[in-house]
Amino acid sequence: MLSMKNISKVYQTEKVQTHALRDFNLEVEEGEFIAVTGPSGSGKTTFLNIAGMLEPFTSGEFSLDGVDIGKLNDNQTADLRNQKIGFIFQGFNLIPDLNLYENIEVPLRYAGIKRSERKLRIEECLEKVGLASRAKHLPQQLSGGQQQRVAIARALAGKPRFLLADEPTGNLDSLMARQVMELLEKINEDGSTIIMVTHDPELARRAPRNIQVVDGQLADFTMYQNKTIEAIAASAPVVEA
Amino acid sequence: MFTHYIDLAWRSLKRTPMVSILMVCAIAIGIGITMTSLSVYHMMSMDPIPSKSDQLFAVQLNTTDEGTDWWTEDNIALQLTYKDAMFLHNQESAFRKTASMKGMATVHMNNDELKPYLAATRVVGHQFFNMFELEFIYGGPWTIEQEQLAAPVIVIDEETSEKHFGRPNSVGEQIYLDDRSYQIVGVTKNWDIHTKYYDLNNGAFSGVESIFLPITLIEAQQLDNSGNTNGWKFEEIDSFESYLQSELVWLQFWVELPDQRTKKDYESFLFAYLEEQGKLDRFERKTPEYKLRDVNEWMEYNRVVSEDNKVLVGLSFLFLAVCLANILGLLLGKFLKRAPEVGVRRALGANKRQIFLQHIIEVSMLGLLGGALGIVVAQIGLWGVRTTNQEYNALASMDLSMLLAAPGIAILACILAGLYPAWLVCRTQPAIYLKTQ
Amino acid sequence: MSEIIPIFRALLRSKAGALMLLIQIAITTAIVSNAAFIINDRIQYLNTETGYPEKEIFSFSISSFGEISDLSVMLEQTEETIRNIPGVINASLVNAVPVSGSGSASTFGSQPSSERGEEIRAAYFTGDEHILNTLGLSVFDGRNFEKNEVVVGTDRNAVAQVAIVSKAFIDQKFPEGNGLGQTIYFGNDPLKIVGVVEEMVGPWLKDNQAQNVVIMPIARADKQQKFIVRAEADQRAAVMRQIDDILLAEHNKRVIMFKRGMDEAKDNYNASDILMLRMLVVLIVVLVLVTALGIFGMTLFNINKRTKQIGTRRALGARKSAIVKYFLTENSIICISGMLIGSVAAVFLGNSLMTRFSIPALDINYILTTAVFVLVISLVSVIFPAIRAANIAPSIATRSI
Repeated sequence: MLSMKNISKVYQTEKVQTHALRDFNLEVEEGEFIAVTGPSGSGKTTFLNIAGMLEPFTSGEFSLDGVDIGKLNDNQTADLRNQKIGFIFQGFNLIPDLNLYENIEVPLRYAGIKRSERKLRIEECLEKVGLASRAKHLPQQLSGGQQQRVAIARALAGKPRFLLADEPTGNLDSLMARQVMELLEKINEDGSTIIMVTHDPELARRAPRNIQVVDGQLADFTMYQNKTIEAIAASAPVVEA
Repeated sequence: MFTHYIDLAWRSLKRTPMVSILMVCAIAIGIGITMTSLSVYHMMSMDPIPSKSDQLFAVQLNTTDEGTDWWTEDNIALQLTYKDAMFLHNQESAFRKTASMKGMATVHMNNDELKPYLAATRVVGHQFFNMFELEFIYGGPWTIEQEQLAAPVIVIDEETSEKHFGRPNSVGEQIYLDDRSYQIVGVTKNWDIHTKYYDLNNGAFSGVESIFLPITLIEAQQLDNSGNTNGWKFEEIDSFESYLQSELVWLQFWVELPDQRTKKDYESFLFAYLEEQGKLDRFERKTPEYKLRDVNEWMEYNRVVSEDNKVLVGLSFLFLAVCLANILGLLLGKFLKRAPEVGVRRALGANKRQIFLQHIIEVSMLGLLGGALGIVVAQIGLWGVRTTNQEYNALASMDLSMLLAAPGIAILACILAGLYPAWLVCRTQPAIYLKTQ
Repeated sequence: MSEIIPIFRALLRSKAGALMLLIQIAITTAIVSNAAFIINDRIQYLNTETGYPEKEIFSFSISSFGEISDLSVMLEQTEETIRNIPGVINASLVNAVPVSGSGSASTFGSQPSSERGEEIRAAYFTGDEHILNTLGLSVFDGRNFEKNEVVVGTDRNAVAQVAIVSKAFIDQKFPEGNGLGQTIYFGNDPLKIVGVVEEMVGPWLKDNQAQNVVIMPIARADKQQKFIVRAEADQRAAVMRQIDDILLAEHNKRVIMFKRGMDEAKDNYNASDILMLRMLVVLIVVLVLVTALGIFGMTLFNINKRTKQIGTRRALGARKSAIVKYFLTENSIICISGMLIGSVAAVFLGNSLMTRFSIPALDINYILTTAVFVLVISLVSVIFPAIRAANIAPSIATRSI
């Protein structure tokens, strides 16, 4: 359902050209849970941004559910993002002025969903992440882990088929990180496709499919045996941010 | 979605109260100052009789020698001589017309009940009321026969009637001007016009008269002109008769020409009249010169809107521009600070149009608040104008159109100032702001 | 060529705030210099010397009706009554009130009008031998009217034989300085100039020949008669309060109207100028305030944006004065460019005001003074935020936001 063929992304400043991605190829099937690892600056985030249509790509073919993304204009990508993709960020990116309920409501409003329907969905999502009682709280009244669970609820509210997570546990301690990971796994079991960028080898190991981005190119490992992953993890250059 | 944007805008304003107050105050002051001068300008320049301002014409005839200087821009006197005005007044015609003079009289009831007072009067033909849309509530104008006979009849307004008789309907009653008694034939409603466009000689805003007399009484009762009298050559004037026959100009003349054809015909009539008068040795002038100016042209020609006011309107709009530059700077800072939030919204599916709209609605709300507060500032300003210059009492106020214009201009101005910041913020790449907060 | 646009865009993106500040300063300079100039022009006009003790004089009209055997005798009697009111210095019936905006003017020639000689325009007043004293004037050259020269009556065509004129008039009419004793013509009637008053003005201060005045000794009574009264300055209000009752007690078939002090009449005549003056003062004050606030806000905003950078500079050893200097310099660059543009705009604005309206050409000094003034204001409004910036702790550099 997600297909990238020979995707390149070049950042052009006045003097320097930087190839963030080059000849990047990836096929993702429905229901997959993919962990993306790689050293800092390897192009992980660029890949995720392109997958989420937050950034245009320079060349190549990218289709999502059979739609050729390269041909869409800004409004169309915005709509597609709204319908199909949920984002989870390292910094949570909740809007500080809005309470939890209203934060989750944001994508639903852009989707043009009716008020009563919105209410049902928000309550359902808050329930799912275990924060139903705190709907009226503002983000800063919550702990980091709770904030990330709200962000996940927000990502889920639009019933997206894709969940893109960029270091979702990067700002959390290990206990909270594990809780968030369990939540993501549960969501994956419910049918959503998840692509997660992470630095944490332990988390990566829990994902059924691992890919590694090195120098803007893909090294794909579909592993079902922990042994192999360890071998690869050992061979890959480990860079901590 | 719209109400949601309004909600968002309100929250955003509340989040940075100091900046919001600063911006609202800047707009309010800008709008307040602009509306103060604009309201006065609006009242001054307003068409006083929109239904037929293009059909009423002030007549000017040049009955001076060639080379005579007058202070008007085309060197033609503003008023007519008595003989010319009465000739035009008495001419048979299908259209309405009237000569007009400002008089002054001591008004009393010939008893001790009412303290006598001095009042300006308007001495006109019976068609004056119809021409200038002064409506009667009781009775009507004097008849053409009464006018021809110079009958002592009078029209007063409702207020005068109340003052003298304690009731609005006083038709048939007698009232005294100086030493003569007049019979009231009609009571008009109180005339509510700001600009005394039918006679601009003694101040365009000096207030309309409330007592009206037939024009033929000038001769019959030797009424004095209390408006302007101007002469251009020396004449031996030793009697009222010689005063009436003199070349002094002291009457206004208005004509209501309903269409172009009638106007054309009237113009050739005036031309012929002047040509004939020129032959009588009244004045030395090769080609007859006359002017027909409609109400708005007449006001423009008489410089009803003062230069000072035009300068002030111009300066206050420049002032508003300064306020806008100020706001634009503040908005830039405010909006760009919010780029990360916009990034999140973009990631969650907002398109550029929605982001743009959200911010434009926020600045519109600033404009609305500033405009509303601006009305308050303008009211203070107008109060200042009224206390400084009594003549502006009726002018220094905001009518409905100005009350609506204030927030209108404020919102428009704010949108103008907000366009660039809103555009800047909606076109930022969302990805940049998502990685870290 | 294609590179200019991206550079310009980059400038706009980063410097749009500065650009707005520049525009504000430019327009402010343009408006303030022109407005200050107009203000000064009006102040000079409003301070024009009239020659009259305005606070001692008041005027009013008596409108008489009913059976009157001799209007002239009656009003002469009234004049006497007024002079006898305690506090009154003198009173005179006149044809027009100085500085009131309403009166009469005529041309005065060297020959009878029928001969069409050279003529000079002047406002004229009529009154009896008391008129000069009532107006607080004295003869500077020649003599006052004598009682037997005053023409008394109700005849509209009464003719005087002599006249007292203003110095401005006689200087214009007889530039050689031999005017006293000469004859001028009012229409076809000769008037011998017997006295000259150094300073007096006619009814219209805005007239470009406001100082041309001729006074003729005619005490013509009219059904609507104007009076001028001079009282002790501190008693004028009291006299004005009681005069209605006194005059109505004397004769009840009359209306007393238009009673007002000469200072009030003058303010009334000049109301639109006073209004313009006040409006412009308010405009300038608020404008400078708004601009100063704008500079203040912009600097604060810049400092907030650069808190970390300032902290880093401090950590690297920058003195507080260096930080203040940095912001002052930055602000000065914007201000001076704004002022330069504003000065050019001021000249254009001044020119367009001059061509479109009757406003004199803008004096360059006003632009220079305004520019300096705006610079001072802008430096004052930047200095406080700058000092605040200088007080940012260097430790902030090591903290992440």
